[in-house]
Amino acid sequence: MSQNNGMYSRARIPYGTWGSSYFPAWQTSALAEVNIGQFAGESMNRILGLRKVPKTELDYLIIGSTVPWHWKFWNAPLVASCLGERIPGYHMEQACATGLQATLLAGAEVDSGANDVVGVLTFDRTSDSPVGVFPERRAHQRTVPLADVWDNFGFDPATGNAMITTAGIAARKYKIGRKETDEIAFRRHQQYFDSKRSGFLDRTLVPLEVLNLQGRTLGRIDDDVGVRELTLGSLSAMNELDTCVTGGTQTHASDGMACLLVATPEKARELSPQPEVDIRFVAKAEVRTHPSLMPEAPAMAVQKLLERTGLTMSDMKVVKNHNPFAVNDAIFARMLDYDWNCMNNTGSPLVWGHPQGPTLTRVVIEALEEAVDLGGGHVLVFGCAAGDVGISAILKVS
Amino acid sequence: MTKVMRETTLQTLGLGNVIDIFERGQMPAAAADLVDEVFGKQKKRGSMVISGANGIVGAGKTMQLGSRLQPYDVRVVALDFPGAPDGIGKQYPGLVQAFGPEGAAAIMQNIVRLSYDGTRLPSELQQLKPRFLLEAIPEILEIKRAHYELFRGSFPDIEIRSVTSGFPSSELGVGVAHPAFPHEINKIWEIVEPEPSAITQLLWALGLIPVPVSDNWSFVLDVLFCGVTLAGLRYHDASNMPFWKIDKFVRKLMGPNPFRAHDAIGAKGANFLTWSCLHHLAEMYGDVFKPTAALTERKDTGQTWYPPNHFRPLVNWSLDESADEDFRAWILGPMFQMTSLMLHEKRGHLTHLNAIGELCAQFRSGILAVVRDLGPDTVAKTVRAYHRLQPEAAQSAWYPGAFNNMDSPEWQQLYVNAEHNGEVGVVTLSRESYNGDVDQELNRALDWLKAERIERVILTGDFHLSTQMVGADTSEFFPALEAAEAGSRIASDWSRTARRFADDFEVSVGFVNGKRCLGGMLELMLHCHYLMAVDGAQFGMPEVTLPVVPGMEGCHWPFRKARAEDWPKLLQLLLGGRPVRAGDAVGWLIDYAGPLEEALQTAWKVATGADHGLKARSVESGALDGVPREIAGLPPADSPESEAARKAIVQCIDAACHVSLADALATQAKHSAEFMLSAECRGGMVGTEYTKTMAV
Repeated sequence: MSQNNGMYSRARIPYGTWGSSYFPAWQTSALAEVNIGQFAGESMNRILGLRKVPKTELDYLIIGSTVPWHWKFWNAPLVASCLGERIPGYHMEQACATGLQATLLAGAEVDSGANDVVGVLTFDRTSDSPVGVFPERRAHQRTVPLADVWDNFGFDPATGNAMITTAGIAARKYKIGRKETDEIAFRRHQQYFDSKRSGFLDRTLVPLEVLNLQGRTLGRIDDDVGVRELTLGSLSAMNELDTCVTGGTQTHASDGMACLLVATPEKARELSPQPEVDIRFVAKAEVRTHPSLMPEAPAMAVQKLLERTGLTMSDMKVVKNHNPFAVNDAIFARMLDYDWNCMNNTGSPLVWGHPQGPTLTRVVIEALEEAVDLGGGHVLVFGCAAGDVGISAILKVS
Repeated sequence: MTKVMRETTLQTLGLGNVIDIFERGQMPAAAADLVDEVFGKQKKRGSMVISGANGIVGAGKTMQLGSRLQPYDVRVVALDFPGAPDGIGKQYPGLVQAFGPEGAAAIMQNIVRLSYDGTRLPSELQQLKPRFLLEAIPEILEIKRAHYELFRGSFPDIEIRSVTSGFPSSELGVGVAHPAFPHEINKIWEIVEPEPSAITQLLWALGLIPVPVSDNWSFVLDVLFCGVTLAGLRYHDASNMPFWKIDKFVRKLMGPNPFRAHDAIGAKGANFLTWSCLHHLAEMYGDVFKPTAALTERKDTGQTWYPPNHFRPLVNWSLDESADEDFRAWILGPMFQMTSLMLHEKRGHLTHLNAIGELCAQFRSGILAVVRDLGPDTVAKTVRAYHRLQPEAAQSAWYPGAFNNMDSPEWQQLYVNAEHNGEVGVVTLSRESYNGDVDQELNRALDWLKAERIERVILTGDFHLSTQMVGADTSEFFPALEAAEAGSRIASDWSRTARRFADDFEVSVGFVNGKRCLGGMLELMLHCHYLMAVDGAQFGMPEVTLPVVPGMEGCHWPFRKARAEDWPKLLQLLLGGRPVRAGDAVGWLIDYAGPLEEALQTAWKVATGADHGLKARSVESGALDGVPREIAGLPPADSPESEAARKAIVQCIDAACHVSLADALATQAKHSAEFMLSAECRGGMVGTEYTKTMAV
């Protein structure tokens, strides 16, 4: 079935109403000390204020996060209260696909006619994730403590393998070489720092000041702390942790939030500082690949998407993905016959980190901003998620 | 014949001019006489009824009036529904704190608490002979009117006043006595009645501050307080800025933090009252007063404006230059427009309109002082900028012409007035703390007296708005924390003004009638040839506790007037920071203390040159030798900041006393200004207040 006529035809993403925090690496910023749900709500309000969007325009809020946070039970209504607007909404999560999936769900929400303006607010704090204690009568330990982020990353209960292992297995399957992944990582760092120096990131990222209990400054979230410029030589010299996986060719845990709006066409024009920019949903696809082959899943999701839409990679003006491993990009290039130099032009999670929930939201925001700079066109966004899942979507900027 | 620079505020109460008080040697009205007039003479004395007595207003006023009427044997009847939560009992700890256990018990014993069902008055009321009903029931016009009918049916001669914040007297059918929060201690009452009544004069005689205003929907305080709240709400809608942060920027700009105030008063009641005022004002005057959706929602829910403690604000907000300009337009624009309306409607004496904001709504400077400072053109420009942001507000209730006559004495003398009888002048201060506005107005008042060829002058409070003299307004020091020039300018300018009382007049008398005269106000008064006070007044130099170094010549002027053997007492006053009673200060700090009427009469004798028996203390113009640098028995300073201030004050005394009088002013100003730049000053009360208010 072809989707190239678009989906969610009544939904638009209003240009320029979005924003993301910087993503400081885990344990390097004040975000390690605070309730990330509250931070996200208050930050979205601040971002909307800077974008001249009255928060009263929001009808509904879809929040996405993957690491439990204090008072998570109260869900989107609580975060909306922190934002200062008492609106309904719900929480969703799909590991690292959360940001894109939340955006798509918002499209569906608007398209259904249920709401005119839906906020997408994604966030996570991987620093000091809570430790859950799970009574397990059938386990010999009787009670199992689980540190949410690190224990999960280290053990896929369906396969027994760690995330990093999937990168090694996939690299071996596609015969990816270390040289290529080092070159990809080097290129991604160059892209990020070029973009930063050009001022591009100043349009998508918002510096935020975090206060302590007394109302004094606890810290400023004004940089992707932990990201440093690397040379090809330094990348090549790094220890290999698994096939093609080093400290430089894999992402790092970080904290942050990112948000955008999805609205009806009329509302999108009303809210956007550039109403002539039209951003539509075109199509989406998801796949689940064989056990422990997560890095190939996104490429498979893109293949499925192109088949269903009849579009080709040459139709894509901007290509951007969540790439926790450089292996992901190498496999994608191999499977889609695409030059990995041409994607992730403004940076990618491989460089700026991996706060899970908001990762793909920031990818979407940067991709759309880049597409507008380029005069519009199709935007391909994709990424992997825990459980060997791949997700992809095409948006169209005109 | 008395000539006044502008109408005295006392005159608005039908109590004459301040100079009359000195000429007659007594106050214009006595509480005992007015109690007789309002409640009947002793054997036939009736009672006061406060209905809605368990509410925030009712309970506060039951305490305030109960404590003042108890010495006159006027019973206070606290009337409310049987199920009303006990608001009066909550007041008892405060009463004990103010009056001690015995005093508090006596006041409570004088309060008769009665219940009624809203339709029938309790039979016990007949025996208590109600003469005055202060109605403090909910803001619903029909219920209020029915309440008055109920009372008039049983007590046809009863005087009734409503505490309403919104309904005009013409709608209610009774006079208005609208008090200000916090009701236990705030002395201001906005009064609406055709002529000043005995009740109003009684409030004044009891030490309260009745302020006549015109009969319009909502009163001055409500327009200002609800107005600044609405301005903040509109900015919230325009910018998304959270209420807590708007409060901080509004406080920096003007002084109030309206949203915190609502929560502190009690969001449920306060939100409704603010909405109710604005709702009625909007119906009357248009969209400039229209409540926003957030307020309308909160009038019903009672939701607080600040987040709960466990969600204390986490993400800060700032304003860049352009956003700050918008913010000023959003806040000041409507405030100026509303002020133009109040001026157009002639809602009251300009000094009153100005003072209400300062005394009841936390304005750092009254709204008219702010307007005057900016000038009519800037004010009109600000309102126009606001109208561009909110065009519907431009449709009505904007009277730019109301700001046209700012050169008139009524505008120019908001805080200081002058009167004379052709021989003696009286300069009155209507502000409890000294600031730049007071300084300029004081100079204009002295210029006026000099132009009128007055050479004998009394400097005193206004016997109305200013019930004490607390010293310098420390917010004036904020610029001095950043630049020595600012501190030096303040100290030098203010000292030069003070010296006019010593140099420009043949005789000058400082007269302290209120509870206390402290800091900068005391330094000002000390420049008069004679300083006189009523018994019980307290004098002090608390600068060391702030800490600052006195700037208006407090470190040398009193030493130059005192005998060498009294210098340790002055040093104790400056370094200890504790006040002394007037009676204990005679001879070395002040020149006279006595009962009120005797003090008034003596002051008049001194001012007119009649035989008074007091000897003027001369001011030594040369350098002083032997001024002590330390005193025995001084308790340790209570903080490192105070310890540093003690050292700085001693150095200032040393330096200023060891130069001539001519040079001492600059020396004192230099020391005062330098200390304000110190870390110790920054770490003390002034620095903390500066950081809290300005560094947002």
